Amino acid sequence: MKIIINHQPVDVKEGITVMEACRTVGIDIPSLCFLKDVSENASCGVCVVEVKGARSLLRSCITKVTDGMEILTASPRVREARKVNVELILANHPQDCLQCDRNLNCELQSLAFQLGIKESRFVRTRKKYFPQDETSLSLVRDPEKCILCGRCVAVCNEMQTVNAIDFSGRGLNTRISTFFDKGLGATYCTNCGQCSLVCPTGAITEKSYVQQVWQEIHNPDKVVLIQTAPAVRVGIGEAMGMPYGSLVTGQMVAGLRRLGFSKIFDTNFAADLTIMEEANELMQRIHQNGVLPMITSCSPGWIKFAEHFFPSSLSHLSTCKSPQQMFGAIAKTFYAEQTGIDPRKIVVVSVMPCTAKKYEARRPEMDDAFHYWKEKLQLSENEHFFDVDYALTTRELARMFKESGIDFQHLPSEDFDQPLGVSTGAGTIFGVTGGVMEAALRTAYETMTGRQLKDVEFLSVRGMKGIKEAEIDLNGTKIKVAVAHTLKNARFLLEQIQNGISPYTFVEIMTCPGGCLGGGGQPIPTNFEIREKRAASIYREDEHKKIRKSHENPEIQYLYEHFLEKPLGEKSHHLLHTHYVERGC
Amino acid sequence: MNFQTSTVISEEIIDEIIGKYQNKPGFLLSVLEEIQEKNPLKYLPAETLQTVAAKLNVPYSQIYGVVTFYSFFNLRPQGKHTIVVCRGTACHTKGSKQLLNEIGHSFGMNHQDDNSEASFTTADNQFTVRTVACFGQCAQSPVVEVDGKIYSYLNSQKLLKILENVKKNGFQKNSSIVKSR
Repeated sequence: MKIIINHQPVDVKEGITVMEACRTVGIDIPSLCFLKDVSENASCGVCVVEVKGARSLLRSCITKVTDGMEILTASPRVREARKVNVELILANHPQDCLQCDRNLNCELQSLAFQLGIKESRFVRTRKKYFPQDETSLSLVRDPEKCILCGRCVAVCNEMQTVNAIDFSGRGLNTRISTFFDKGLGATYCTNCGQCSLVCPTGAITEKSYVQQVWQEIHNPDKVVLIQTAPAVRVGIGEAMGMPYGSLVTGQMVAGLRRLGFSKIFDTNFAADLTIMEEANELMQRIHQNGVLPMITSCSPGWIKFAEHFFPSSLSHLSTCKSPQQMFGAIAKTFYAEQTGIDPRKIVVVSVMPCTAKKYEARRPEMDDAFHYWKEKLQLSENEHFFDVDYALTTRELARMFKESGIDFQHLPSEDFDQPLGVSTGAGTIFGVTGGVMEAALRTAYETMTGRQLKDVEFLSVRGMKGIKEAEIDLNGTKIKVAVAHTLKNARFLLEQIQNGISPYTFVEIMTCPGGCLGGGGQPIPTNFEIREKRAASIYREDEHKKIRKSHENPEIQYLYEHFLEKPLGEKSHHLLHTHYVERGC
Repeated sequence: MNFQTSTVISEEIIDEIIGKYQNKPGFLLSVLEEIQEKNPLKYLPAETLQTVAAKLNVPYSQIYGVVTFYSFFNLRPQGKHTIVVCRGTACHTKGSKQLLNEIGHSFGMNHQDDNSEASFTTADNQFTVRTVACFGQCAQSPVVEVDGKIYSYLNSQKLLKILENVKKNGFQKNSSIVKSR
């Protein structure tokens, strides 16, 4: 189809929007509400263009191209309209950019700069001041900074089908709110944080523990251990100015060491441990006619989702704790014993691509190390500690690097500390959708068949398709498995289970699109193209690991020989497994 | 506020109302409207909204969005008597803002809120004062509606007299409601 953009004839595909058509010829039309694959509310009025013959300016995000259309994207009328629309948004937006979490990474701020806005001509029209919502353990909402673009509502309702937030009120009172404005902490919000990824301003951010972690690092009485989730190493580089999906494991370790953490450990180690427990749990369920399909339990957003919306199906969830929590429990028991460090002095900090991990770390039942030591050390309740003390997001770690003036890109590559920093490629791929499934299959296959796996790569569970299926032959036993990411897809598989028509034996569910590498705590922006790049880096790290199967990790073997004894054993039961709560809605 | 628990509409009544409107376009509004009517305090408590949301498979946040969008729906108990002050342009130029303040004073309310959609109810639950964008009675502005009846060409003196009457007769009316049950 032939159209004319800024006096230049252009050939474009039929059925696309004016915005998409312009992008094909290198014209980027700004928008604060439109987000590909996420939302098209056409509420911000920034993407307007002039179309010959149309009475008013048109919103390019929702206007389809027509044959012979003549479009102007930067005429004086267009530029003036965009400017006025942004100025009107700014009239009700706080002018405290310097103190904002999103300073220098804010779509509204950059757009105001791009459009050359130099004065605030309009006065505030909103009469009320909306209070901040600090009820959640993971996220903070500041409705004052909200520009009502509706992206957060779109991800929460459509991509995640959680519906924790929606528009409420009318006119100047319009706001994004939870039921009765009770706050996220009082709703069935799963803390996935996808809303914080798509927010164009600082209206939704993670609850930060950076200050507390600095204090712990500089407390001479504390031994501060840090664990890094698999997906952080493919995200943190971006936040430090490197290309999307940069694989920066070694630099990240070096940087953490320079921040002053006592030991730099790896959540990948705990991921290998999770596989040992989970693969054995799966085999036990298969052999002893247990509840099937078994569903993975690494993603805390998914856990809370299941507790709210599918309380009757909780027996399908693996009882394995997530790697973050397994790490905390092992660090404060096994590692404390081996090194003779008083567990009360150990502070476990985790860096996660995730906001829900903050909530998970504070679940009241996640204090098994405390109970392990309670009798041995005669601990009083006042000395209570959690297995994981602080969970930071990738973004928070980037802030710490910046605060300490570390020149991240030029750091040398360093190795993790022993023993909790030793991991396999199976641990690495936990960071991508399908990875936990693949890692579990590598171990389950070899344990069940007693044969060595020729090709460790299960390509059928890789890729960004919403729900992936595969059939695996385990020594004559054929099992069907499924992998889902986003809670909308999880809901589909759970409804199958509820209706008794699920054909699967083993199911992996990740809350966020793309798996952890697309998590709510990752650098902004995170979109589908960036997710693909991060996934490629994860698989590259796996490919180059000497050991690619969890059960071959020598430190895991040592841990079982000298402490845990065997998978699903007595100690595992107390330290590595958990239970779930029926929350309902 | 111990009467609140007794004002939660029973599930049977909610079922009955839903059954009446189900599958008609816009039935969520009709259902909520009738349930609010059935409530002796003319409002929609959180529990009621949760029940309706669960029965109609509408998310809580969405039903809250609907009831906060329409000023017709009340989320707080309403007084036995409703006074609605018109805050449309015509009435505003004829001093409706002052009328609103005077009503507030006469009930001992400290009406400081500039929000034009504000509503308040006296502590004894006898009166609720609300505003409306326009009654369409601009020719007779300023107008105030008291228990469904429109009073026009109001000024402070007239209004105070009406309020005196309502206050006096209010308790009689209240007891007559009790009798008629």
